[in-house]
Amino acid sequence: MNKPDDKKHDDKKHDETRRAFLIGAALGAAASTGLAPEAHAQSHDAAMAPAHTMAASDAHGAFLNDEDAATMTAFTERLWPAAPGKPGATEAGVLNYIDLALAGAYADQQDFYRRGLAQLDAYCRSAHGKPFAQLGAAQQDEVIRALEQGKATGFTWPTAPAFFNTVRTHTMEGLFADPIYGGNKNFAGWRQIGFPGAQPLFSDADMQSREAFTRAPIVGLQSRGDLLVKGG
Amino acid sequence: MATTKTDAVIVGVGAAGGILAAELAKSGMKVIGLERGPRLKTADFEPHDELRYFQRQDLRPDPKRQPVTWRPNPNARAHPLSSLNYGNQAGGGTVHYGTLSWRMHADDFRPRSQTVERYGASAIPADSSLVDWPLSYADLERFYDQAEYELGVSGKAGNLQGRKIDGGNVFEAPRSREYPLPPLLMDQSGILFDEAARKLGYHPFSSPRAIVSQTYNGRPACTYCGFCQAFGCHVGAKSSILVTKLPEADATGNFSLITGAMAYRVNSDASGKVTGVSYYGPGGTDETIEAELVILTTFIYDNVRLLMLSRTDKHPNGLANTSGELGKHLMAHMMPNVFATFDDRYINNFMGPSAQKHTVDDFNADNFDHGGLGFIRGAQISIGTPNLEGGPIAASTAAPPPGVPRWGAAYRDFFSHFYARHGVMVAQTENLPYPDQVIDLDPNVRDAFGLPAPRLTYDFRRPNELKRIEFMQAKMEEIGRAMGSPHVWRTPLPPGVPGAHHEGGTRMGSDPKTSVVNRYGQSWDHPNLFVIGSSTFPTMGAGFNPTLTIQALAYLSADAIVSRYKKNPGALL
Repeated sequence: MNKPDDKKHDDKKHDETRRAFLIGAALGAAASTGLAPEAHAQSHDAAMAPAHTMAASDAHGAFLNDEDAATMTAFTERLWPAAPGKPGATEAGVLNYIDLALAGAYADQQDFYRRGLAQLDAYCRSAHGKPFAQLGAAQQDEVIRALEQGKATGFTWPTAPAFFNTVRTHTMEGLFADPIYGGNKNFAGWRQIGFPGAQPLFSDADMQSREAFTRAPIVGLQSRGDLLVKGG
Repeated sequence: MATTKTDAVIVGVGAAGGILAAELAKSGMKVIGLERGPRLKTADFEPHDELRYFQRQDLRPDPKRQPVTWRPNPNARAHPLSSLNYGNQAGGGTVHYGTLSWRMHADDFRPRSQTVERYGASAIPADSSLVDWPLSYADLERFYDQAEYELGVSGKAGNLQGRKIDGGNVFEAPRSREYPLPPLLMDQSGILFDEAARKLGYHPFSSPRAIVSQTYNGRPACTYCGFCQAFGCHVGAKSSILVTKLPEADATGNFSLITGAMAYRVNSDASGKVTGVSYYGPGGTDETIEAELVILTTFIYDNVRLLMLSRTDKHPNGLANTSGELGKHLMAHMMPNVFATFDDRYINNFMGPSAQKHTVDDFNADNFDHGGLGFIRGAQISIGTPNLEGGPIAASTAAPPPGVPRWGAAYRDFFSHFYARHGVMVAQTENLPYPDQVIDLDPNVRDAFGLPAPRLTYDFRRPNELKRIEFMQAKMEEIGRAMGSPHVWRTPLPPGVPGAHHEGGTRMGSDPKTSVVNRYGQSWDHPNLFVIGSSTFPTMGAGFNPTLTIQALAYLSADAIVSRYKKNPGALL
């Protein structure tokens, strides 16, 4: 590294300190009267994501029955589990996304899911004596690994890896597609990774920045019209 | 069944067809364009939605309705490809493409001769059909220039009339004048890539792209929103055929576009002339257009399929196929990736035009000495985004580094850290032509119109191509480390399925015995039938995206038709 780069690194350390301070300030401000301008700029951080109730996020019924919904909830949560400040698939509404997709755009995959879930249920009962949703997290992970690696027995169509891959793909869609499709609740997926949504423009300064993008609020399909009207 | 008469019918109004439509209509010819998809407008592309356009491929053919099948060799059963990366609407692929707009190097028009001169004939794999093109860079230069200026391409010259210019592509062939628009802005990944490549002694530059960096011909400048490859442009800054040539064609009063039209046969008579095109209309009607001139400008699959479907007793192997070369020499770029993540900075590569942002041309074509490497021809190496698109769904499809699983807490933590802090390089490899890589009609799979699906028989895993990929991955890893990334990894190669930019199938040449069309895309067998697009490429012409060359060839053909063929219909030599 040459000198100018070292200088940038020093600046960066300073920025990290400042950022940590701002996050702390933001948390304090949010708890009292509202967000200060600097604090608002940090609102993409997972730490600032509003609290959710599970009840609002596990909606289903367009396609999945209760039993399959319970399996899918448990399965997708293991694929993207919650941690403090990091909403998991359940809280992000992945189940709702998949349920709506199977009733609409992916209606041609209904039988793929029906049969895949039935095979998964049979495998879990024979290998572990319980349905998937009633297994402990470690056993659920063991089952998912067996699917991924094609070691789970009794699968014909879909194959175990094909079922795993499809559920994984649809889980990622539920986390990272626009909330208008039923997942990514309150931008839970986008906040965690630092994606600001469908921004209509980035400036030269945005492009040159080495920092997280915080200049503008996250833009979803339902808010974009308002943003354009306001000239945002 | 209705019949309409016209001077020229153009099947597929995309990168090439849009140019021919405008140029022929401007010359006074009555032109009808057939397009199987809709005609969208700029307002249709607001707002951007990664699920709809990237993941569910809303601007591309539905593989269930319009399947294309693939098998690695003639002994395997072909299965439909799950995604199709070409256009399905007026404007074709130029609506959703990444806009990379390259001129081929001068020697890319004579790769066989040049390889033999430098390395000897034994350097060419014995089973490859590597050939020279039937035209030279000098023949095409003014049409490249016309395409850049009429459509609007942003970039910086690296070779202005023989004068090398730092900051442009110093390997490019001499251009007669500067690009019409300055280069697009760099993002963090481009800045890091540029610094690293310079440190290593390479010659990086901002990739030339058909996106206007400033207001141009009444169109506004790029807003760097990042929704580029797979998306239509919400401000019309992308120089797609929709906002460039179609308005020109409309203004002549000589052009009409029929959307929802699926061409299924080119008609011909006993004399060997083609007489027009039959198609299924939007409501399933059966229609025919009679035309003096038939121009096929669909994607390569349909150019080949239409000619095969149009066979008659007189032409039992399909139209334009006396040579027996129809459908052969299918080629595609392979796109091996190397990822680089950073701990000390954000990259935010969801910003800015998303595909192949910044380039080194040092390892493309024959820009470096291949002596002792065990392969010929090279690759364009660039930095950009996973799957050429920067949204999180695209990033989630990329393989994580070795040791990181694809799911669970470890994946969540990796992805949360990685997403806004990564760059990804891609080597776009110039795979050689081979005569046993072919397109034909699938005997088992039919499309929604009841027509046999195009079937690809192709496997890139040949010694020359695999050695090239290995070499390029090592180069990208070297650049990634020079960028200061502590985490550099290559992603696994796909099975032998063709990658990006499918080319070949209606090869152009100078000899009717070994090619389907001449340099103008004119059929040797039927002088009033033209086929124009990347299906005519005899080789891939470097690791370059093909669109600007397709467009230059379309201008060349339009010029030949208007200035010579119209006055004296017959073979153009």
